[in-house]
Amino acid sequence: MATTTPKDVRVLAAPRETEARPARGRRHRSGRVILYAVLTILGVIAALPFVWMILSSFKPEAEVRAIPPTFWPQEGTLDNYRTILNDPELPLGLFYRNSAFVAVMHVIATLFTGSLLGYIFAKFEFRFRAAVFWFIVATMMIPPQVTMLPGYLILLQMNLLNNLWGLIIPSFIDAFAVFVMRQFILSIPNDEIWSARVDGASEWRIYRSIVLPQLRAPLATLGMLTFMFSWNAYLWPLIVLTEQNKRTLPIILTWYSGHHSAQNNLIMAASVLMVIPVLIVFALAQKWIVRGLTLTGGR
Amino acid sequence: MASETIRLERRRRLFGGREGAQKRFVTAVMSPAIVFMAIFMVLPIVWALALSFFDFSPRRTGSPILGLGGDNPFVGLEHYRQMTDFSSDATLNVRQFHIGVKVTLLFAFIVVPVNLLITLPLAAMIESVHDRARPIFRTIFFLPVLASSVGVAIMWGFILHPQNGLLNLMISKMTGKTTVISWLGDPDLVYFGVPVALLMVIAAYLWMDIGYNMVIFIAALQAIPRSVTDAARVDGASAWQIFRHITLPLLRPTILLASILTMISAFQVFDLFQVMTEGRPDDQTLAMSLNIYRSAFRYQQMGWAAAMSVVLFLIVFVISLVQARLLRTKWEY
Repeated sequence: MATTTPKDVRVLAAPRETEARPARGRRHRSGRVILYAVLTILGVIAALPFVWMILSSFKPEAEVRAIPPTFWPQEGTLDNYRTILNDPELPLGLFYRNSAFVAVMHVIATLFTGSLLGYIFAKFEFRFRAAVFWFIVATMMIPPQVTMLPGYLILLQMNLLNNLWGLIIPSFIDAFAVFVMRQFILSIPNDEIWSARVDGASEWRIYRSIVLPQLRAPLATLGMLTFMFSWNAYLWPLIVLTEQNKRTLPIILTWYSGHHSAQNNLIMAASVLMVIPVLIVFALAQKWIVRGLTLTGGR
Repeated sequence: MASETIRLERRRRLFGGREGAQKRFVTAVMSPAIVFMAIFMVLPIVWALALSFFDFSPRRTGSPILGLGGDNPFVGLEHYRQMTDFSSDATLNVRQFHIGVKVTLLFAFIVVPVNLLITLPLAAMIESVHDRARPIFRTIFFLPVLASSVGVAIMWGFILHPQNGLLNLMISKMTGKTTVISWLGDPDLVYFGVPVALLMVIAAYLWMDIGYNMVIFIAALQAIPRSVTDAARVDGASAWQIFRHITLPLLRPTILLASILTMISAFQVFDLFQVMTEGRPDDQTLAMSLNIYRSAFRYQQMGWAAAMSVVLFLIVFVISLVQARLLRTKWEY
C-alpha cells in the first residue's frame, strides 16, 4: 500500500516516470499479485453493468425476454438501433439539439460570470464584498429541493416554463464556478494588473487580456464539468419542460422507457445511444475532469 | 466652453480618475449580478420559507403578493406542527413524511461510511499499481461518474429485473437453481429494518458515485511527500504502520471534506429514486427528495412541500455541522 512512487504532485496527469523501481522481495511480489487480482475483480464488477447494457442492446426481443436470460447475444442484431433511429415519435436529432443547446449556453454563462465575478471578488475592494461572496458560497449548501418550488413559480411568472431558456437563465451565475475562479485569480500577482493599469488599459481589457489568459486550464476543466452536469441534469428539466419537443435527453430516455417498458432490448439500445457517446467523449477528456475535481474538490 | 470644463470636472470628481474606473467596473459588473442574485438566489430561499407557512397551490390565484393569502390561506406553523404528529391516525401526508425522513437518513448513513470504506483503500490500491495500469483502473472506476444518472437508473432496473435480470442470472448460475427475486418490488424483503429495494438503490448510487471520492483521495495521496513515508520506512515501519500513522492522519482534512460533500449529495439524490423505484414497494423507498417533488408537482401541495424542503435543509445543515465538529476535534488531538 505504501509503494507510492515519486510524482509531480501539482499535475495529476504527470508524464510517465522512467526512473527504475527499487528491487522488491518475494513477499512483495505475492502482495502485488493479490493487489492486481483484487483490483481486477472490482474493475470487472464496475464495468459489468455497462457491458451488459451494450450486449443487451444487440439482442432481439425474444432473447431479452428469455427465461433464464442470456449474457452473450445468441444472434446479434442491429434491429433495435434501426427501430429507434426510424421511430417517428422519437426525433432523436431534435433532443440531441435541445440538450446540446442548453449545455453549451450553460457553459458559456458559467465561464463568463464565474471568471468575471471571481475576478471582482479576488481583486477589488468594495462594500459588502465579503458578505456577498460568502452568501454565494453558502447557497451551495441549500438543497435544490428548497429552491426548486419558488424557482418554478418565478419561471411561471416570467413565462419561461416549457422554454429551454428557463433551464439556462436561473443558473446564469454558478456559485461553485465563482468560488473556484476566485481561488485561482487570487494567485495572479497584483503587480501585473497594476502595471497594465499604469499603461492605460481599461478594466475590461485587463480582465480580457491579463486575467482570462491565465485561467485557461481551470476554465477548460470547469467548462467540461458544467457541460456534463447540464447534459445529465434531470430534476429541473423535468419540472420546467413538459412539452415533448422541448425536452432534453434524460427526460426523453425515461419517457421512452415508460412507453416501451416490455421491450428491454429497445430501451437498452436507446440508453446506449444517449449515454455511451457522451461517455466516450468524457473518457477521452477524463484527464481534465479529474484534474478539475482534484483541484477544487467540487461535486 | 466654461460649462463644458465644469461638466468634465464634475464628472472627474464623481467618477474619479484611475480609481473611478475601477469603481465603475465593479458597479457595472455587480449591479446586474446583484439583481440576478436577488431574483434567483435570495428570493427563492425567502419564498420557500414563506410558502411553508401557507396552504399554497399554484392552481389557485391567491393574493397579488406572490399569490400568498386569499384562497391560499396562511396556516402559520401548522405544517411543522403536523410533522410532529406520530399518532397512528396521522394523515397519509404526515406518515409519508416520516417515511421520507427515515429513508433519507438510512440512505445517507449507509452511503457515506460505505463509500469512504471503499474509496480510500481503492485509491491507495490504484496508487500502488504499475504506472501503465493506473490510468486503466482509474478510468474504469471513474466512468460511472460521467454517465447520466437516468441511464444508470434504467440500467440497474434491468440488472435487478426479477425474470430477465443479470443479478438473478448470476445467482442462478452460482447456486444451480433458478432464482426469481423481485429486488425492487417485494415489500417483504426487509433486513434489520432496511428494505432490500432501498439497499439496491444504495448499491446503484455507490456504483455511480465512488469515482468522485476515489479521485479526490488519489490526489490527496499524491500530495503526501515521499520523503515522509521513506523516512518512516528507513526507521523500520511496516506498510500498515505507515498507512495507519502517517498517511491516514495526513488525509484527515480530505476525509472530512469528502464525507461532508458525500453526505450533502446523498441527501439530495432524486434521479435514482424517481427512475428506479418511484418510492415502491409500499413507499419503502419514498425518499424526502422524491416526496417533495411529488407533493409539489403532482399533488400541487406546494406549501406542504416547501415545509418538507425546509426540514430537509435543516437536517443537512445540522449533520454537516456535527460532522465538521467531530472530525475536526479528532484532527486536533
